[in-house]
Amino acid sequence: MGAPARDAGPAIEAVGVTKRFRGASGRAVDAVHDLTLEVAHGERLAFIGPNGAGKSTSIKMLTGILHPTAGEARVLGFVPWRERRALAERTGTLFGQRSQLWFELSPRQSLRMLAAIYGMDRGAEQRRVAQLGELLDAVDLFDVPVRDLSLGQRMRCELAACLLHEPHILFLDEPTIGLDLLAKRRFRELLVTLNEAGGTTVFLTSHDVADIEHVAQRVAVISAGRLIYDDTVPAMRRTMLSTKLVDVGLERPATPLALDGVSVVAQSDSDVQLSVDMARTSIRVVLASVLDAWSVSDISVVDPPLEQVIAEIYSERRR
Amino acid sequence: MRLRRIGVPADVAGRRLLADRDGWVVNCLFYLIVSGVLSALWRAAAGDGDIAGYSAAALTWYIVTAEAATCALSIRLIEEVGDEIGSGAVAVEMLRPVPVIVVRLVAEVGRGVARLATLLGPGVALAWLVVGPPPSAAGAVLAVPALVLALAANLCLQHAMAAAAFWLRDTRAMWFLYQKLVFILGGMLLPLEVLPDVLRDVAMVLPFMTMAYVPARLAAGHVEPVLLLVQVGWLVVLAAAAALAFARGQQRLQVVGG
Repeated sequence: MGAPARDAGPAIEAVGVTKRFRGASGRAVDAVHDLTLEVAHGERLAFIGPNGAGKSTSIKMLTGILHPTAGEARVLGFVPWRERRALAERTGTLFGQRSQLWFELSPRQSLRMLAAIYGMDRGAEQRRVAQLGELLDAVDLFDVPVRDLSLGQRMRCELAACLLHEPHILFLDEPTIGLDLLAKRRFRELLVTLNEAGGTTVFLTSHDVADIEHVAQRVAVISAGRLIYDDTVPAMRRTMLSTKLVDVGLERPATPLALDGVSVVAQSDSDVQLSVDMARTSIRVVLASVLDAWSVSDISVVDPPLEQVIAEIYSERRR
Repeated sequence: MRLRRIGVPADVAGRRLLADRDGWVVNCLFYLIVSGVLSALWRAAAGDGDIAGYSAAALTWYIVTAEAATCALSIRLIEEVGDEIGSGAVAVEMLRPVPVIVVRLVAEVGRGVARLATLLGPGVALAWLVVGPPPSAAGAVLAVPALVLALAANLCLQHAMAAAAFWLRDTRAMWFLYQKLVFILGGMLLPLEVLPDVLRDVAMVLPFMTMAYVPARLAAGHVEPVLLLVQVGWLVVLAAAAALAFARGQQRLQVVGG
């Protein structure tokens, strides 16, 4: 681990944090409203919400880039917007849509630059870069110009840049955006490995439900700037994530299928989308029944879109 | 360790320049053409005499040096930095444990010095071929640190002006005005002594004179070491202005979304 935390408190602590932006028309909008949140050391938190929910703004306040309009926060004991540079020595941040590597250079040259900025000597830099190359399976990528890397390869190098100074907390803002399925899976596995091996706290924002299931231990959902849900992933899985969607391609029109907890979301002669409540019927049973009863050309199981999960959270809260 | 914090970013900036070979070739050609044309004009105007104390040979060395001091920097840096602030791209730089302005200035000075070195080779060759060696060896030696100070002062003022993007929506037009000020009041096109008295007096008390006039006057054979002190003084003021503008501006940064 790099420089130590200032105190033994939680890794992240935010109380009533609000960020108000003034739009072009002069109208004030709360991008984040009254955010209160605590993250323990070594925890993996998925901070999820649809586009424009306030996820990135929250991360930017917790890393000290943005000054909040109201509220208090401490990250590793530091007030982020007042002690941004001291905090930066202890945290790593990755913005999925902004690169911290220099496109004209190779990742190794960028890492050299960052190591100098973080005050690492040449020996420590070389040891750490070799270690990260092994860990991220990126040794061969470090000498390729960044502009020639695929997005998935670049994200692994971006992660190396975040981890160079052995941060206590990783802030990851939409790190899987734009990645293909294989690259996403690999990236998620890496985050879990990093957390389990080094105890690095992971604060991950995403609008991809799969990120929650495969990375996080706990999930906080933000919508329209407000925190609307905060619980463990198993608890959320029991309540909100018990639904899966099954997309079926058909060779012949389907006959009705009577299964408990299964409903038809959309149907045509060539496609059917089913919604499956896994608390009532397992996916295995549904797939077996579908393959048995219908003439199937293609089949896939997907997570419901985040908007649907959030709609369920709202409806749960109203009950 | 601190030296490494400065040396590596400067070195990396130089490598970025080398990676952009096409840009370097175009810049070099532009520099040679402008220097060749302007110095020919001034030689024709001076003839066998001199203009404001500058002989035809001195004017050639003046132009080659003044053009190098300005061509070594991106012509639209204010616009580029302003766009990075306006778009929120500067946020990534705020994640590092050193002031944004320090990394930026070190990197840009590194890039500028690398570019300067590549320009001076052909520039010196051009002047030497046309009018022979510089009028004073001591002046030429003093011009080297003066060129580096000129780049640094120029970069500090451009960053201080670009920081207006933290407050204003659009700072893109600013680079155009800035460029003209360096052209005229900075002595890039002509020695300040050639300007009308009032304009010359104004130019002499403004920071733009440190950005082209000082190294060019030294290279033209005026051995006046005090000019380096003037540059250092202005550099301190401009660096403080840039640091203050960025420190204040970062507190107002507005970045909506990822």
